[in-house]
Amino acid sequence: MDLGAGQTEAGEFTLLLEFDMDMAGFTSNWSYCDRLSTYFARMISHNRSDSLLYSNLFSSALNELLETVYRLHAPTGSFVCSVSRNGAKDRIALTIPVDTETEGFYRDAVVVLNGGDVSPRYHNALFSDGPLQPNIGLLELAVDYAACFSIEPADGNAIRLIAELTLEASAP
Amino acid sequence: MIAEKLVQTYKVSFDQNNQELALAGSMRPQRAAEMADCVKLLETSLASIRGTFYVNVKRLVRLNNVAFHSLAGALLKAAEERPDIKITIITSSVIGWSTKKFGTLTAKNPKIVVEEYDSEFYPGQAFLEEGGFVPVLRTQTKLTWKHERAILPRHGLEPGMTMADICCGIGDFAVLVAKEFSPSRIVALDHSKSSLAYARQVASEFDIGGIEYIYGDAAEMLLEDGQFDFVSCRHALQIFNKPEMIVNELVRICKPGGRVYVTNEKISQCLGEPRGPSIEWTYEQLSKLFADFDMDLEFGPKSYQALQRAGLEDLRIESFMVTNRDGDAQAFADMIMAWEEMFAGGMSEKRGDDAAFVEKFRRGFEDHIAAALHPGGYAGWPVWVASGRKPR
Ligand SMILES: C[S@@+](CC[C@H](N)C(=O)[O-])C[C@H]1O[C@@H](n2cnc3c(N)ncnc32)[C@H](O)[C@@H]1O
Repeated sequence: MDLGAGQTEAGEFTLLLEFDMDMAGFTSNWSYCDRLSTYFARMISHNRSDSLLYSNLFSSALNELLETVYRLHAPTGSFVCSVSRNGAKDRIALTIPVDTETEGFYRDAVVVLNGGDVSPRYHNALFSDGPLQPNIGLLELAVDYAACFSIEPADGNAIRLIAELTLEASAP
Repeated sequence: MIAEKLVQTYKVSFDQNNQELALAGSMRPQRAAEMADCVKLLETSLASIRGTFYVNVKRLVRLNNVAFHSLAGALLKAAEERPDIKITIITSSVIGWSTKKFGTLTAKNPKIVVEEYDSEFYPGQAFLEEGGFVPVLRTQTKLTWKHERAILPRHGLEPGMTMADICCGIGDFAVLVAKEFSPSRIVALDHSKSSLAYARQVASEFDIGGIEYIYGDAAEMLLEDGQFDFVSCRHALQIFNKPEMIVNELVRICKPGGRVYVTNEKISQCLGEPRGPSIEWTYEQLSKLFADFDMDLEFGPKSYQALQRAGLEDLRIESFMVTNRDGDAQAFADMIMAWEEMFAGGMSEKRGDDAAFVEKFRRGFEDHIAAALHPGGYAGWPVWVASGRKPR
């Protein structure tokens, strides 16, 4: 799962779209996950070679990330979601306010995601009995969308979770 | 661009006749409990069937893991508890994620199979989608454009409109319309990835931006209702065995007050002189050959009624004849040469025709070519144009 991570410098990515919102606002309504991911997907898919297909895939991937954040975050602070692009690669960066527990969740998750093939874990999680595991969306991105994850510290009590995705073989 | 209505909602319905549960729209619940009604319908439907149970997710555009987990649990449970049944999930390649996602169920229980519905969709697909068709389409569009650029305004196309060209093939028509009529938005949709790749390349070589090329199935488009002033579908209704399905989709995406525009052939009416009878014989055979592959190349004059049945008003129909006298006899001859190869070569062979038939079949094409290039010859290919307005 280290497809190209580190190959590209942050500087080569161009910011396409950024959105920030108070965490309390974001988590006041579940449908924001769907609406935001759909809005982002539409806005950034226009110049992909198949805009509709790209937008479908992007919306699915981003929605899983947003649902994860919706469930796991510190109660206050500001939530930032941005998408930047470098050729065929899109980088989603989420600035998430965290406390010790939620920070631990994201850090542990990224260690797992970067620690080799996670598809058995993902498939177990898909068919587990009982409630869904909170990291299922992250696992799905790693397996089905070949996303590369990393974490950076951010200002205040927050982390930046980064997922890089290549959803289309090559840019037009 | 994805249907707005689907963003907030989904539909579930069970068709007892086909033993098919159809899920459509967007399913992104917060809690498993929100899936209860859907899972209940799934369970009662399953209890009522024998043999194969179909789950149609062709138009399920979004599905989060909460929803998938609930559906998967119920399907796996049924597959285990009911040794008598099989479950077939029908996905669409257009959605992007669904074949892979539902495919995980097969790994878990092989009694659940996933079929990607549109991989073998319409009868003549193999012939028409393979690369050999590209040059033919280019030549055809070049020849028909000479007529259509003057015809289109009579059917309501005006500069600045939003338009969609469905079954766009290699996209030449979209490029020509973009240049001549400067639409404010133009979407071109087809189900052939190779044609679309070609279309994008042509557009970028000619530096024509702004055409949205979309991979999709004309029978089940993911485009929103009522968003285009002008919806065209050229030389395509004639290759589907259920053209009314496509017409309904064209009407659906058209704005109320906008127009749907279709062109089709009546291939048996191709003509030429000298050697008229040989040419006529071959095109009658060509029409039958297509019919044997469930395609109706006689559709042209039937398009009036097809639009009428779909509820359109202010219907207009006319025909034009592409001929060798339009200014490019060689292009006409090239087009017939390509037809000969595709139809007397590939398609006739596939039907198992004997050598004597193929020889005679070819002769008519050759006579048509000769008529086109003959100093005193005349060769023609008629096309029917029909359009209608969607009621407000
Ligand atoms: C005879 S060609 C006509 C192409 C173009 N309109 C033209 O006039 O050159 C028919 C086109 O329909 C497309 N097609 C066939 N089935 C389709 C489907 N289910 N959805 C969308 N396009 C389809 C084929 O890929 C092909 O490009």
